[in-house]
Amino acid sequence: MTLAVFDYGAGNLHSLLRALTVDGLTPALETDPRALARADAIVLPGVGAFGAAAQRLAPGRQELLAALRDGVPCLCVCLGMQLLLDRSAEGAGQGLGLIAGHVERLALPRVPHMGWNVVRDVNEPLLETAPLSYAYFAHSFACVPADPAVVTAVTEEHGQRIVAAVRTARTLGVQFHPEKSGPQGVNFVRAFVREAAACV
Amino acid sequence: MLTRRVIACLDVADGRVVKGTKFVGLEDRGVPQELAARYEAQGADEIVFLDISATPGGHATVLEQVRLTASCLSIPLTLGGGIRSVDDAAQALRAGADKVSVNTAAVDRPELLTELSERFGAQCTVASIDAQRVPPPADVHAAAPRWIVVTRGGRTPTTRDAVEWARECVRRGAGEILLTSVDSDGTRRGYDLDLMRAVSSAVAVPVIASGGAGESAHLAQALEAGADAVLVAGMLHDGTTTVAALKTQLAAHGILVRAVA
Repeated sequence: MTLAVFDYGAGNLHSLLRALTVDGLTPALETDPRALARADAIVLPGVGAFGAAAQRLAPGRQELLAALRDGVPCLCVCLGMQLLLDRSAEGAGQGLGLIAGHVERLALPRVPHMGWNVVRDVNEPLLETAPLSYAYFAHSFACVPADPAVVTAVTEEHGQRIVAAVRTARTLGVQFHPEKSGPQGVNFVRAFVREAAACV
Repeated sequence: MLTRRVIACLDVADGRVVKGTKFVGLEDRGVPQELAARYEAQGADEIVFLDISATPGGHATVLEQVRLTASCLSIPLTLGGGIRSVDDAAQALRAGADKVSVNTAAVDRPELLTELSERFGAQCTVASIDAQRVPPPADVHAAAPRWIVVTRGGRTPTTRDAVEWARECVRRGAGEILLTSVDSDGTRRGYDLDLMRAVSSAVAVPVIASGGAGESAHLAQALEAGADAVLVAGMLHDGTTTVAALKTQLAAHGILVRAVA
């Protein structure tokens, strides 16, 4: 199985790559979104800003969208998850639009929503296979999908519900950083790799 | 609800974790990656790696230590010290840091905060502020406390008001404030609660209280004063307590913390 991690050229991918390195598999960093779309499994990491990342994805947007619609397993973390939607208040540029909806700035007394929070109302098989007691969040924007049925987990802060996970077919997005969420988070990433390997 | 964070701080000089009193009198406490891994296992919510090397130009060595430390962790790591540009920050992130904190460099050139925030996001940009209490005038009895910003490891006073500077840091893009009381640092007599209260009510980003932790009650006080997280160092390094013990005591105070697995 080939496993490609998109490199937007901003931020730290170490922990994610380390978590993805399992069962003799070596993830490949990919800067070309067209090549990314050809991998057996895809990871969109969660570092950087929406506008810049959307711009980097743009040359391969159609190919990537086709691959995800075709059922290629894909894990999208934080910003990566936000890129699944149509657009974001964070910046210009087009998301993949795999999930209809937009990304809004959080309306909390303190933004970013930063730290360890509980993930609840879980309807995500991977979170049932590899549960996290707490997940590490670090974000100022959050997904607002048009169809609530894609939401597979939420978290709560200050009485507000924040979308914590979405899924459509084999594409899974999480707002938290599993690779930063301790050993349970690393297990979650590895469960994704195993699930992907099983369906290739 | 977000749990309150207990963050272990490693002050690193020339490859070793040190801890001093009031920014001086450094004592060797061990190797960064070993302490970081120990604190993660104890339930630390994040690790801060502060490079306080007296000798400038050792940045490549520091990055190598950050790489080693990051490779032992599956919780967030912040690097502070020696970051003066977007390129420095990019190197720190490539070495495995998740956030960068800037202190003197931001006071010298506040645009740096905006540059970091635009490139890496506010969640990655920590403004570290060292604040020193201004003694009240002798003839005024109930004057409201004031603090000035000090830089260069607490050695150089500036004319900036610390609360106003915190506001400006956030306006310029900082997503978090690491707030150290120079007066309390290393004393283990508690955080400067007035300072924590003043800054956390002035900004709408998370505030990390730093300087003065000596027992779990101090942590609880800082969190009750409005801090979102507490930084601890000395009392962990010398084995007085563990993160797990601190969290158990915070939970007993009714403070929401991430339970240690």
